[in-house]
Amino acid sequence: MTVAVQTQTLSSCARAATAQEARYRIDRPIAPSRAGRVVALDEGAADVLSRTAQHDWANARFYVCEAGAGAAGDVVLRGIDGGPATLADELASASVVVMVATNDSGVGGAYALGKACWERGIQTAGLVLGDGTHAGTAAAAAVAALRPHARVLLPSADEADVVDLLSALRV
Amino acid sequence: MLRQDINELLTRTGPGTAMGELFRQYWMPACLAEELPEDGCPPIRLKLLSERLVAFRDSYGNYGLIDEFCAHRGASLWFGRNEDGGLRCPYHGWKYDTTGQCVEVPSEADNSSFAENVKLTSYPLVKIGDVLWTYMGDPATQPPLPEFEFALTPPEHHYTSKRWQQSNWLQAFEGGIDSSHVTFLHSGGLRSDPLFKGAKGNQYNLNDTKPFFEVADSDGGLFVGARRNAEEGSYYWRITPWVMPSFTMVPPRGDHPIHGHFWIPIDDENCWAYSFDYHPMRPLTEAERQAMVDGHGVHSKNIPGTYRPEANMDNDYLMNREKQRTGEWYSGVEGIAIQDSSLQESMGPIVDRTKERLVPADSGIIKARQKLYRAATALRDKGVTPPGVDPAHHHVRSAAVVLPQKEAFLAAARDDVRVRPGFPISSV
Repeated sequence: MTVAVQTQTLSSCARAATAQEARYRIDRPIAPSRAGRVVALDEGAADVLSRTAQHDWANARFYVCEAGAGAAGDVVLRGIDGGPATLADELASASVVVMVATNDSGVGGAYALGKACWERGIQTAGLVLGDGTHAGTAAAAAVAALRPHARVLLPSADEADVVDLLSALRV
Repeated sequence: MLRQDINELLTRTGPGTAMGELFRQYWMPACLAEELPEDGCPPIRLKLLSERLVAFRDSYGNYGLIDEFCAHRGASLWFGRNEDGGLRCPYHGWKYDTTGQCVEVPSEADNSSFAENVKLTSYPLVKIGDVLWTYMGDPATQPPLPEFEFALTPPEHHYTSKRWQQSNWLQAFEGGIDSSHVTFLHSGGLRSDPLFKGAKGNQYNLNDTKPFFEVADSDGGLFVGARRNAEEGSYYWRITPWVMPSFTMVPPRGDHPIHGHFWIPIDDENCWAYSFDYHPMRPLTEAERQAMVDGHGVHSKNIPGTYRPEANMDNDYLMNREKQRTGEWYSGVEGIAIQDSSLQESMGPIVDRTKERLVPADSGIIKARQKLYRAATALRDKGVTPPGVDPAHHHVRSAAVVLPQKEAFLAAARDDVRVRPGFPISSV
Protein backbone atom coordinates (compact mmCIF):
# COMPACT_ATOMS: atom_id res chain seq x y z
CA MET A 1 0.00 0.00 0.00
CA THR A 2 1.30 3.42 -0.83
CA VAL A 3 0.48 6.49 1.16
CA ALA A 4 0.31 9.76 -0.68
CA VAL A 5 2.15 12.44 1.23
CA GLN A 6 1.14 15.93 0.33
CA THR A 7 3.75 18.52 1.08
CA GLN A 8 2.76 22.15 1.10
CA THR A 9 5.28 24.52 -0.36
CA LEU A 10 5.23 27.78 1.52
CA SER A 11 5.78 30.98 -0.37
CA SER A 12 9.00 32.85 0.19
CA CYS A 13 7.26 35.50 2.29
CA ALA A 14 5.28 33.03 4.40
CA ARG A 15 8.37 31.00 5.16
CA ALA A 16 10.51 34.05 5.92
CA ALA A 17 7.99 35.61 8.31
CA THR A 18 7.93 32.76 10.80
CA ALA A 19 9.42 32.97 14.27
CA GLN A 20 11.62 29.99 13.40
CA GLU A 21 13.20 31.86 10.51
CA ALA A 22 13.79 34.90 12.72
CA ARG A 23 16.44 32.80 14.47
CA TYR A 24 18.59 33.06 11.38
CA ARG A 25 18.70 36.80 11.23
CA ILE A 26 22.27 38.02 11.43
CA ASP A 27 22.95 38.87 15.02
CA ARG A 28 26.05 40.94 15.30
CA PRO A 29 26.58 43.74 17.79
CA ILE A 30 25.32 47.06 16.51
CA ALA A 31 27.91 49.78 16.65
CA PRO A 32 26.69 53.15 17.86
CA SER A 33 25.59 54.72 14.63
CA ARG A 34 25.13 58.25 15.78
CA ALA A 35 27.63 60.67 17.13
CA GLY A 36 25.16 62.81 19.02
CA ARG A 37 25.76 66.33 20.15
CA VAL A 38 23.19 67.49 22.66
CA VAL A 39 23.01 71.23 23.24
CA ALA A 40 21.16 73.15 25.94
CA LEU A 41 20.04 76.52 24.60
CA ASP A 42 19.24 78.09 27.96
CA GLU A 43 19.79 77.67 31.68
CA GLY A 44 16.73 75.54 32.32
CA ALA A 45 17.76 73.16 29.57
CA ALA A 46 21.29 73.08 30.96
CA ASP A 47 19.97 71.79 34.29
CA VAL A 48 18.18 68.98 32.51
CA LEU A 49 21.19 68.05 30.41
CA SER A 50 23.49 68.01 33.41
CA ARG A 51 21.34 65.19 34.76
CA THR A 52 20.86 63.49 31.40
CA ALA A 53 24.60 63.40 30.85
CA GLN A 54 24.95 61.16 33.90
CA HIS A 55 23.38 58.25 32.01
CA ASP A 56 25.52 55.80 30.08
CA TRP A 57 25.85 57.02 26.52
CA ALA A 58 27.80 55.39 23.75
CA ASN A 59 28.74 58.39 21.72
CA ALA A 60 26.93 61.47 22.98
CA ARG A 61 28.42 64.72 24.17
CA PHE A 62 26.56 67.41 26.05
CA TYR A 63 27.00 71.16 25.81
CA VAL A 64 25.58 74.47 26.84
CA CYS A 65 25.21 77.16 24.23
CA GLU A 66 26.34 80.27 26.04
CA ALA A 67 26.18 83.13 23.66
CA GLY A 68 25.83 83.90 20.06
CA ALA A 69 22.53 85.71 20.21
CA GLY A 70 22.37 87.28 16.83
CA ALA A 71 24.92 86.65 14.16
CA ALA A 72 25.37 83.28 12.56
CA GLY A 73 28.53 81.50 13.58
CA ASP A 74 28.72 83.57 16.73
CA VAL A 75 27.79 80.63 18.93
CA VAL A 76 29.94 79.68 21.91
CA LEU A 77 29.74 76.21 23.36
CA ARG A 78 31.04 74.80 26.57
CA GLY A 79 30.86 71.25 27.73
CA ILE A 80 28.22 70.44 30.30
CA ASP A 81 31.11 69.88 32.71
CA GLY A 82 32.41 73.39 32.03
CA GLY A 83 35.14 72.52 29.57
CA PRO A 84 35.62 74.63 26.45
CA ALA A 85 34.31 73.46 23.10
CA THR A 86 34.37 74.78 19.57
CA LEU A 87 31.32 74.45 17.42
CA ALA A 88 33.17 73.59 14.25
CA ASP A 89 35.23 70.93 15.99
CA GLU A 90 32.25 69.38 17.70
CA LEU A 91 30.22 69.22 14.53
CA ALA A 92 33.08 67.74 12.54
CA SER A 93 32.34 64.28 13.87
CA ALA A 94 28.62 64.71 14.60
CA SER A 95 25.79 62.97 12.82
CA VAL A 96 22.90 64.37 14.84
CA VAL A 97 22.46 67.49 16.94
CA VAL A 98 19.71 67.59 19.52
CA MET A 99 18.81 71.06 20.79
CA VAL A 100 16.96 71.42 24.09
CA ALA A 101 15.20 74.61 25.18
CA THR A 102 12.78 75.88 27.78
CA ASN A 103 12.35 79.42 26.43
CA ASP A 104 13.39 81.57 23.50
CA SER A 105 16.55 83.04 25.02
CA GLY A 106 18.60 80.69 22.89
CA VAL A 107 17.14 81.76 19.56
CA GLY A 108 20.51 82.99 18.34
CA GLY A 109 22.16 79.73 19.26
CA ALA A 110 19.41 77.75 17.56
CA TYR A 111 19.88 79.76 14.41
CA ALA A 112 23.65 79.30 14.41
CA LEU A 113 23.47 75.62 15.21
CA GLY A 114 20.73 74.98 12.68
CA LYS A 115 22.63 76.78 9.96
CA ALA A 116 25.88 75.02 10.75
CA CYS A 117 24.15 71.64 10.72
CA TRP A 118 22.34 72.37 7.48
CA GLU A 119 25.63 73.33 5.82
CA ARG A 120 27.20 70.08 6.98
CA GLY A 121 24.24 67.81 6.31
CA ILE A 122 23.81 66.97 9.98
CA GLN A 123 20.39 65.86 11.17
CA THR A 124 18.75 68.07 13.82
CA ALA A 125 16.12 67.54 16.46
CA GLY A 126 14.65 69.92 19.00
CA LEU A 127 12.96 69.33 22.32
CA VAL A 128 11.08 72.05 24.12
CA LEU A 129 10.56 71.31 27.78
CA GLY A 130 7.14 72.45 28.92
CA ASP A 131 3.93 72.97 27.00
CA GLY A 132 4.92 74.66 23.80
CA THR A 133 1.59 74.06 22.13
CA HIS A 134 -0.21 77.01 23.72
CA ALA A 135 0.65 80.52 22.59
CA GLY A 136 2.03 83.00 25.05
CA THR A 137 4.17 80.64 27.09
CA ALA A 138 7.96 80.60 27.32
CA ALA A 139 7.87 77.12 25.84
CA ALA A 140 5.81 78.31 22.88
CA ALA A 141 8.38 81.02 22.26
CA ALA A 142 11.05 78.33 22.33
CA VAL A 143 9.10 76.31 19.78
CA ALA A 144 8.93 79.29 17.45
CA ALA A 145 12.66 79.82 17.86
CA LEU A 146 13.51 76.19 17.15
CA ARG A 147 11.00 75.40 14.41
CA PRO A 148 13.04 76.61 11.45
CA HIS A 149 16.14 74.78 12.62
CA ALA A 150 15.00 71.39 13.88
CA ARG A 151 14.02 68.69 11.40
CA VAL A 152 12.05 67.08 14.19
CA LEU A 153 10.53 69.04 17.04
CA LEU A 154 8.87 67.86 20.22
CA PRO A 155 7.05 70.97 21.45
CA SER A 156 5.74 69.51 24.69
CA ALA A 157 8.58 67.38 25.96
CA ASP A 158 9.73 66.52 29.43
CA GLU A 159 13.03 65.35 30.85
CA ALA A 160 12.25 61.70 30.13
CA ASP A 161 11.74 62.54 26.46
CA VAL A 162 15.35 63.68 26.23
CA VAL A 163 16.57 60.38 27.62
CA ASP A 164 14.15 58.31 25.55
CA LEU A 165 14.98 60.08 22.30
CA LEU A 166 18.72 59.74 22.81
CA SER A 167 18.35 56.10 23.81
CA ALA A 168 16.24 55.32 20.75
CA LEU A 169 18.84 57.01 18.54
CA ARG A 170 21.62 54.91 20.10
CA VAL A 171 23.86 57.93 20.70
CA MET B 1 16.01 50.88 19.58
CA LEU B 2 13.94 49.67 22.48
CA ARG B 3 14.97 47.60 25.46
CA GLN B 4 13.85 43.99 25.20
CA ASP B 5 11.89 44.13 28.44
CA ILE B 6 9.93 47.14 27.20
CA ASN B 7 9.34 45.49 23.83
CA GLU B 8 7.95 42.48 25.65
CA LEU B 9 5.72 44.64 27.79
CA LEU B 10 4.30 46.57 24.84
CA THR B 11 3.68 43.59 22.58
CA ARG B 12 2.11 41.05 24.95
CA THR B 13 -1.62 41.59 25.43
CA GLY B 14 -2.91 38.35 26.91
CA PRO B 15 -4.74 38.21 30.25
CA GLY B 16 -2.62 39.39 33.15
CA THR B 17 -0.06 41.25 31.07
CA ALA B 18 0.49 44.97 31.59
CA MET B 19 -0.36 45.85 28.01
CA GLY B 20 -3.28 43.43 28.00
CA GLU B 21 -4.70 45.14 31.05
CA LEU B 22 -4.24 48.50 29.35
CA PHE B 23 -6.26 47.36 26.31
CA ARG B 24 -8.91 46.05 28.68
CA GLN B 25 -9.57 49.60 29.89
CA TYR B 26 -11.06 50.59 26.54
CA TRP B 27 -14.04 49.89 24.36
CA MET B 28 -12.62 48.41 21.19
CA PRO B 29 -13.88 46.84 17.98
CA ALA B 30 -14.73 43.17 18.44
CA CYS B 31 -16.07 42.53 14.94
CA LEU B 32 -18.04 44.16 12.18
CA ALA B 33 -21.79 44.32 12.54
CA GLU B 34 -22.09 42.62 9.13
CA GLU B 35 -20.65 39.46 10.69
CA LEU B 36 -23.86 39.05 12.70
CA PRO B 37 -26.30 40.27 10.08
CA GLU B 38 -29.65 39.20 11.54
CA ASP B 39 -31.40 37.92 14.65
CA GLY B 40 -30.66 34.26 15.26
CA CYS B 41 -27.87 34.13 12.69
CA PRO B 42 -24.93 31.72 13.04
CA PRO B 43 -22.42 32.60 15.78
CA ILE B 44 -18.84 33.52 14.92
CA ARG B 45 -15.55 32.62 16.54
CA LEU B 46 -13.42 35.51 17.74
CA LYS B 47 -10.08 35.73 19.42
CA LEU B 48 -9.30 39.02 21.11
CA LEU B 49 -6.38 39.81 23.38
CA SER B 50 -5.53 36.08 23.33
CA GLU B 51 -8.96 35.06 24.62
CA ARG B 52 -11.09 32.69 22.55
CA LEU B 53 -14.66 33.85 22.34
CA VAL B 54 -17.83 33.37 20.40
CA ALA B 55 -20.07 36.25 19.35
CA PHE B 56 -23.73 35.81 18.56
CA ARG B 57 -26.95 37.69 18.02
CA ASP B 58 -29.84 35.93 19.64
CA SER B 59 -33.30 35.49 18.24
CA TYR B 60 -34.42 38.69 19.96
CA GLY B 61 -31.59 40.83 18.55
CA ASN B 62 -29.40 40.92 21.65
CA TYR B 63 -25.66 40.73 21.04
CA GLY B 64 -23.45 38.47 23.15
CA LEU B 65 -19.72 37.86 23.41
CA ILE B 66 -18.94 34.87 25.58
CA ASP B 67 -16.31 32.25 26.27
CA GLU B 68 -16.08 30.01 23.21
CA PHE B 69 -16.27 26.77 25.16
CA CYS B 70 -19.20 25.11 26.84
CA ALA B 71 -18.80 24.86 30.61
CA HIS B 72 -19.83 21.20 30.51
CA ARG B 73 -17.17 19.37 28.49
CA GLY B 74 -15.37 22.19 26.69
CA ALA B 75 -16.93 21.83 23.25
CA SER B 76 -16.83 24.90 21.04
CA LEU B 77 -20.01 26.93 20.99
CA TRP B 78 -19.24 27.89 17.42
CA PHE B 79 -21.21 24.70 16.68
CA GLY B 80 -24.02 26.08 18.81
CA ARG B 81 -27.66 26.26 17.79
CA ASN B 82 -28.83 29.86 18.00
CA GLU B 83 -32.38 29.37 19.18
CA ASP B 84 -35.00 31.13 21.28
CA GLY B 85 -32.90 33.70 23.09
CA GLY B 86 -29.75 31.68 23.56
CA LEU B 87 -26.94 29.61 22.14
CA ARG B 88 -27.30 25.90 22.73
CA CYS B 89 -24.33 23.55 22.74
CA PRO B 90 -25.25 20.74 20.33
CA TYR B 91 -23.29 18.18 22.35
CA HIS B 92 -25.57 17.85 25.39
CA GLY B 93 -27.91 20.78 24.97
CA TRP B 94 -26.62 23.25 27.53
CA LYS B 95 -27.89 26.69 26.60
CA TYR B 96 -26.46 30.15 27.32
CA ASP B 97 -27.89 33.64 26.99
CA THR B 98 -25.95 36.68 25.74
CA THR B 99 -24.53 37.35 29.20
CA GLY B 100 -22.99 33.87 29.33
CA GLN B 101 -25.54 32.74 31.88
CA CYS B 102 -26.44 29.10 31.49
CA VAL B 103 -30.22 28.97 31.26
CA GLU B 104 -30.80 25.32 30.54
CA VAL B 105 -29.12 22.00 31.38
CA PRO B 106 -31.43 19.35 29.89
CA SER B 107 -30.01 16.47 31.91
CA GLU B 108 -31.03 18.16 35.19
CA ALA B 109 -34.43 17.94 36.76
CA ASP B 110 -36.98 20.47 35.58
CA ASN B 111 -36.92 22.33 38.88
CA SER B 112 -33.13 22.15 39.29
CA SER B 113 -31.24 25.35 40.05
CA PHE B 114 -27.99 23.90 38.69
CA ALA B 115 -27.93 26.13 35.61
CA GLU B 116 -28.12 29.27 37.73
CA ASN B 117 -24.66 28.51 39.07
CA VAL B 118 -23.09 28.12 35.65
CA LYS B 119 -21.98 31.28 33.91
CA LEU B 120 -19.42 31.68 31.17
CA THR B 121 -17.14 34.69 31.01
CA SER B 122 -18.88 37.31 28.92
CA TYR B 123 -18.26 40.80 27.71
CA PRO B 124 -20.70 43.47 26.53
CA LEU B 125 -21.16 43.79 22.78
CA VAL B 126 -22.66 47.01 21.49
CA LYS B 127 -23.35 48.17 17.93
CA ILE B 128 -22.19 51.67 17.10
CA GLY B 129 -21.87 52.42 13.41
CA ASP B 130 -20.60 49.46 11.41
CA VAL B 131 -18.78 48.02 14.40
CA LEU B 132 -19.67 45.83 17.35
CA TRP B 133 -17.66 47.14 20.28
CA THR B 134 -16.66 45.32 23.40
CA TYR B 135 -15.13 46.14 26.75
CA MET B 136 -13.10 43.30 28.27
CA GLY B 137 -12.11 44.90 31.56
CA ASP B 138 -13.48 45.05 35.06
CA PRO B 139 -17.23 45.80 34.86
CA ALA B 140 -16.82 48.14 37.82
CA THR B 141 -14.66 50.48 35.74
CA GLN B 142 -16.50 50.19 32.44
CA PRO B 143 -16.26 53.59 30.74
CA PRO B 144 -19.00 55.31 28.75
CA LEU B 145 -19.43 54.14 25.16
CA PRO B 146 -16.93 55.33 22.55
CA GLU B 147 -17.62 58.54 20.65
CA PHE B 148 -15.40 58.35 17.60
CA GLU B 149 -16.90 60.51 14.88
CA PHE B 150 -16.61 57.91 12.12
CA ALA B 151 -18.97 55.58 13.94
CA LEU B 152 -21.51 58.24 14.85
CA THR B 153 -22.18 59.64 11.40
CA PRO B 154 -25.30 58.44 9.52
CA PRO B 155 -24.86 55.00 7.92
CA GLU B 156 -24.69 56.41 4.41
CA HIS B 157 -21.77 58.63 5.43
CA HIS B 158 -19.35 55.90 6.47
CA TYR B 159 -17.83 52.58 5.48
CA THR B 160 -15.77 50.22 7.63
CA SER B 161 -13.76 47.15 6.67
CA LYS B 162 -11.30 44.89 8.41
CA ARG B 163 -8.46 42.62 7.48
CA TRP B 164 -6.39 40.02 9.24
CA GLN B 165 -2.76 41.03 9.67
CA GLN B 166 -0.24 38.34 10.57
CA SER B 167 1.90 40.38 12.91
CA ASN B 168 1.89 41.79 16.39
CA TRP B 169 -0.39 44.77 16.82
CA LEU B 170 2.38 47.23 17.71
CA GLN B 171 4.32 47.08 14.46
CA ALA B 172 1.05 47.45 12.57
CA PHE B 173 -0.07 50.42 14.67
CA GLU B 174 3.30 52.14 14.38
CA GLY B 175 2.75 52.44 10.65
CA GLY B 176 -0.26 54.59 11.42
CA ILE B 177 1.79 57.35 13.02
CA ASP B 178 4.75 57.06 10.69
CA SER B 179 4.09 59.84 8.20
CA SER B 180 7.49 59.63 6.56
CA HIS B 181 6.82 56.35 4.77
CA VAL B 182 3.91 57.74 2.75
CA THR B 183 6.10 59.65 0.32
CA PHE B 184 7.85 56.45 -0.64
CA LEU B 185 5.76 53.37 -0.08
CA HIS B 186 2.43 54.93 -1.07
CA SER B 187 3.69 57.39 -3.68
CA GLY B 188 1.98 55.50 -6.50
CA GLY B 189 -1.35 55.66 -4.71
CA LEU B 190 -1.21 59.42 -4.40
CA ARG B 191 -1.30 59.61 -8.19
CA SER B 192 -3.73 56.86 -9.03
CA ASP B 193 -5.92 55.73 -6.11
CA PRO B 194 -9.48 56.95 -6.67
CA LEU B 195 -9.80 57.82 -2.98
CA PHE B 196 -6.61 59.89 -2.90
CA LYS B 197 -5.86 61.33 -6.29
CA GLY B 198 -6.55 64.85 -7.45
CA ALA B 199 -6.03 66.68 -4.17
CA LYS B 200 -3.84 69.75 -4.26
CA GLY B 201 -2.07 68.55 -1.14
CA ASN B 202 -0.73 65.53 -3.01
CA GLN B 203 1.55 67.78 -4.97
CA TYR B 204 3.02 69.23 -1.79
CA ASN B 205 3.65 65.67 -0.68
CA LEU B 206 5.36 64.67 -3.87
CA ASN B 207 7.37 67.89 -4.21
CA ASP B 208 8.90 67.76 -0.75
CA THR B 209 10.19 64.34 0.24
CA LYS B 210 11.98 65.53 3.38
CA PRO B 211 9.25 66.77 5.69
CA PHE B 212 9.85 68.31 9.09
CA PHE B 213 7.99 66.72 11.99
CA GLU B 214 6.46 67.94 15.21
CA VAL B 215 5.14 65.55 17.83
CA ALA B 216 2.87 67.04 20.49
CA ASP B 217 0.95 65.54 23.37
CA SER B 218 -2.82 65.51 23.31
CA ASP B 219 -5.28 64.58 26.04
CA GLY B 220 -5.82 61.14 24.51
CA GLY B 221 -2.43 60.49 22.93
CA LEU B 222 -0.53 62.50 20.37
CA PHE B 223 -0.76 64.77 17.40
CA VAL B 224 1.97 64.16 14.82
CA GLY B 225 2.44 67.05 12.42
CA ALA B 226 4.37 66.65 9.19
CA ARG B 227 5.21 69.90 7.49
CA ARG B 228 6.26 70.43 3.91
CA ASN B 229 6.97 73.51 1.89
CA ALA B 230 3.94 75.09 0.26
CA GLU B 231 3.69 78.46 -1.45
CA GLU B 232 6.09 81.21 -0.42
CA GLY B 233 5.78 81.97 3.27
CA SER B 234 3.60 78.99 4.12
CA TYR B 235 3.81 75.34 5.06
CA TYR B 236 1.57 72.42 4.20
CA TRP B 237 0.81 70.52 7.41
CA ARG B 238 -0.55 67.00 7.64
CA ILE B 239 -1.72 66.30 11.16
CA THR B 240 -2.25 62.75 12.38
CA PRO B 241 -4.04 62.16 15.68
CA TRP B 242 -3.45 59.08 17.78
CA VAL B 243 -5.88 58.18 20.55
CA MET B 244 -4.62 55.51 22.88
CA PRO B 245 -4.24 52.67 22.58
CA SER B 246 -4.53 52.15 18.82
CA PHE B 247 -6.81 54.61 17.02
CA THR B 248 -5.24 56.72 14.30
CA MET B 249 -6.53 58.85 11.48
CA VAL B 250 -4.88 59.65 8.17
CA PRO B 251 -4.80 63.32 7.17
CA PRO B 252 -7.40 64.00 4.47
CA ARG B 253 -6.89 64.79 0.81
CA GLY B 254 -9.14 67.31 -0.91
CA ASP B 255 -12.82 66.49 -0.53
CA HIS B 256 -12.18 62.77 -0.41
CA PRO B 257 -13.63 60.98 2.61
CA ILE B 258 -11.40 61.00 5.68
CA HIS B 259 -10.06 57.70 6.96
CA GLY B 260 -8.27 55.92 9.72
CA HIS B 261 -7.65 52.71 11.58
CA PHE B 262 -7.91 50.68 14.74
CA TRP B 263 -5.38 47.91 15.37
CA ILE B 264 -6.74 45.27 17.71
CA PRO B 265 -4.63 42.37 18.98
CA ILE B 266 -6.01 38.93 18.16
CA ASP B 267 -3.10 37.33 19.97
CA ASP B 268 0.53 38.34 20.20
CA GLU B 269 1.29 37.38 16.60
CA ASN B 270 -1.88 38.48 14.82
CA CYS B 271 -4.09 41.53 14.80
CA TRP B 272 -7.15 42.99 13.12
CA ALA B 273 -6.70 46.13 11.11
CA TYR B 274 -10.02 47.97 11.07
CA SER B 275 -10.15 50.64 8.39
CA PHE B 276 -12.84 53.25 8.08
CA ASP B 277 -13.78 56.08 5.76
CA TYR B 278 -16.38 58.72 6.39
CA HIS B 279 -17.45 62.14 5.32
CA PRO B 280 -19.02 64.23 8.06
CA MET B 281 -20.85 66.52 5.63
CA ARG B 282 -22.31 64.26 2.97
CA PRO B 283 -23.12 60.65 2.11
CA LEU B 284 -20.40 58.67 0.40
CA THR B 285 -20.96 58.56 -3.33
CA GLU B 286 -21.69 55.27 -5.01
CA ALA B 287 -18.30 55.41 -6.70
CA GLU B 288 -16.52 56.06 -3.41
CA ARG B 289 -18.27 53.22 -1.65
CA GLN B 290 -17.57 50.85 -4.52
CA ALA B 291 -13.90 51.87 -4.50
CA MET B 292 -13.75 51.00 -0.80
CA VAL B 293 -15.45 47.66 -1.38
CA ASP B 294 -12.94 47.01 -4.17
CA GLY B 295 -10.03 47.53 -1.78
CA HIS B 296 -8.90 51.01 -2.74
CA GLY B 297 -7.79 53.69 -0.33
CA VAL B 298 -7.00 52.23 3.07
CA HIS B 299 -9.15 49.16 2.50
CA SER B 300 -8.17 45.74 1.21
CA LYS B 301 -9.64 43.29 -1.24
CA ASN B 302 -10.30 40.22 0.83
CA ILE B 303 -10.83 36.60 -0.09
CA PRO B 304 -14.60 36.30 -0.44
CA GLY B 305 -16.25 35.12 2.74
CA THR B 306 -13.20 35.94 4.83
CA TYR B 307 -11.30 38.92 6.16
CA ARG B 308 -7.98 37.71 4.81
CA PRO B 309 -6.58 39.88 2.02
CA GLU B 310 -6.34 38.26 -1.40
CA ALA B 311 -2.74 39.41 -1.54
CA ASN B 312 -1.10 37.83 1.48
CA MET B 313 2.11 36.20 2.58
CA ASP B 314 1.10 32.86 1.10
CA ASN B 315 1.23 34.27 -2.41
CA ASP B 316 4.07 36.72 -1.81
CA TYR B 317 1.50 39.52 -1.82
CA LEU B 318 1.21 39.09 -5.61
CA MET B 319 4.49 40.95 -5.96
CA ASN B 320 4.86 42.65 -9.34
CA ARG B 321 8.45 43.62 -10.11
CA GLU B 322 7.48 45.41 -13.29
CA LYS B 323 5.15 47.77 -11.40
CA GLN B 324 7.92 48.23 -8.87
CA ARG B 325 10.35 49.13 -11.63
CA THR B 326 8.03 51.70 -13.14
CA GLY B 327 7.11 53.14 -9.75
CA GLU B 328 3.41 52.62 -10.30
CA TRP B 329 3.51 50.50 -7.13
CA TYR B 330 6.63 51.68 -5.34
CA SER B 331 7.23 48.38 -3.53
CA GLY B 332 5.73 46.19 -6.24
CA VAL B 333 2.70 45.45 -4.08
CA GLU B 334 -0.72 46.82 -4.97
CA GLY B 335 -2.81 48.91 -2.63
CA ILE B 336 -2.11 51.07 0.41
CA ALA B 337 -3.25 48.48 2.95
CA ILE B 338 -1.24 45.59 1.56
CA GLN B 339 1.79 47.77 0.94
CA ASP B 340 1.77 48.36 4.68
CA SER B 341 0.92 44.85 5.82
CA SER B 342 3.44 43.17 3.51
CA LEU B 343 6.33 45.07 5.01
CA GLN B 344 5.05 44.92 8.58
CA GLU B 345 4.53 41.16 8.35
CA SER B 346 7.98 40.77 6.82
CA MET B 347 9.44 42.02 10.09
CA GLY B 348 8.40 38.73 11.70
CA PRO B 349 5.57 37.98 14.13
CA ILE B 350 7.01 40.31 16.78
CA VAL B 351 9.76 42.58 15.55
CA ASP B 352 12.94 42.66 17.62
CA ARG B 353 13.18 46.33 18.44
CA THR B 354 16.54 45.99 20.15
CA LYS B 355 18.03 45.80 16.65
CA GLU B 356 16.47 48.98 15.31
CA ARG B 357 18.41 52.00 14.16
CA LEU B 358 15.89 54.78 14.57
CA VAL B 359 16.31 58.29 13.25
CA PRO B 360 14.88 61.58 14.50
CA ALA B 361 12.05 61.29 11.95
CA ASP B 362 10.83 58.34 14.02
CA SER B 363 10.10 60.60 16.98
CA GLY B 364 6.36 59.97 16.75
CA ILE B 365 6.95 56.26 17.20
CA ILE B 366 9.45 56.86 20.00
CA LYS B 367 6.99 59.10 21.82
CA ALA B 368 4.05 56.74 21.32
CA ARG B 369 5.98 53.82 22.78
CA GLN B 370 6.92 55.96 25.75
CA LYS B 371 3.31 56.96 26.35
CA LEU B 372 2.09 53.38 26.07
CA TYR B 373 4.77 52.21 28.49
CA ARG B 374 3.99 54.97 30.96
CA ALA B 375 0.26 54.33 30.79
CA ALA B 376 0.60 50.56 31.15
CA THR B 377 2.93 50.78 34.13
CA ALA B 378 0.93 53.57 35.80
CA LEU B 379 -2.18 51.42 35.47
CA ARG B 380 -0.39 48.33 36.75
CA ASP B 381 1.42 50.02 39.63
CA LYS B 382 -0.99 52.76 40.69
CA GLY B 383 -4.31 52.03 39.04
CA VAL B 384 -4.18 55.21 36.98
CA THR B 385 -6.84 55.41 34.25
CA PRO B 386 -5.00 55.82 30.95
CA PRO B 387 -5.51 58.53 28.33
CA GLY B 388 -8.08 57.71 25.68
CA VAL B 389 -10.60 56.08 27.99
CA ASP B 390 -12.62 59.28 28.38
CA PRO B 391 -14.94 59.61 25.35
CA ALA B 392 -14.04 63.31 25.20
CA HIS B 393 -10.62 62.18 24.00
CA HIS B 394 -12.24 60.57 20.96
CA HIS B 395 -13.40 63.87 19.51
CA VAL B 396 -10.45 64.34 17.19
CA ARG B 397 -9.97 64.67 13.46
CA SER B 398 -6.96 64.55 11.25
CA ALA B 399 -6.33 67.64 9.16
CA ALA B 400 -4.36 68.88 6.17
CA VAL B 401 -3.88 72.64 6.25
CA VAL B 402 -1.68 75.35 4.81
CA LEU B 403 -0.45 77.71 7.51
CA PRO B 404 1.80 80.75 7.59
CA GLN B 405 5.35 79.66 8.35
CA LYS B 406 5.45 81.44 11.69
CA GLU B 407 2.32 79.70 13.03
CA ALA B 408 2.62 76.87 15.55
CA PHE B 409 0.71 74.02 13.99
CA LEU B 410 -1.37 73.02 16.96
CA ALA B 411 -2.12 76.55 18.09
CA ALA B 412 -3.21 77.51 14.58
CA ALA B 413 -5.03 74.28 13.81
CA ARG B 414 -6.57 73.52 17.20
CA ASP B 415 -10.11 73.79 15.81
CA ASP B 416 -9.17 71.76 12.74
CA VAL B 417 -8.16 68.72 14.78
CA ARG B 418 -11.27 68.49 16.92
CA VAL B 419 -14.71 67.27 15.96
CA ARG B 420 -17.03 70.14 15.23
CA PRO B 421 -20.44 68.85 14.21
CA GLY B 422 -21.65 70.65 11.11
CA PHE B 423 -18.19 71.80 10.12
CA PRO B 424 -16.30 70.18 7.25
CA ILE B 425 -12.96 68.52 7.68
CA SER B 426 -9.95 70.80 7.13
CA SER B 427 -8.34 69.54 3.98
CA VAL B 428 -6.27 70.66 1.02
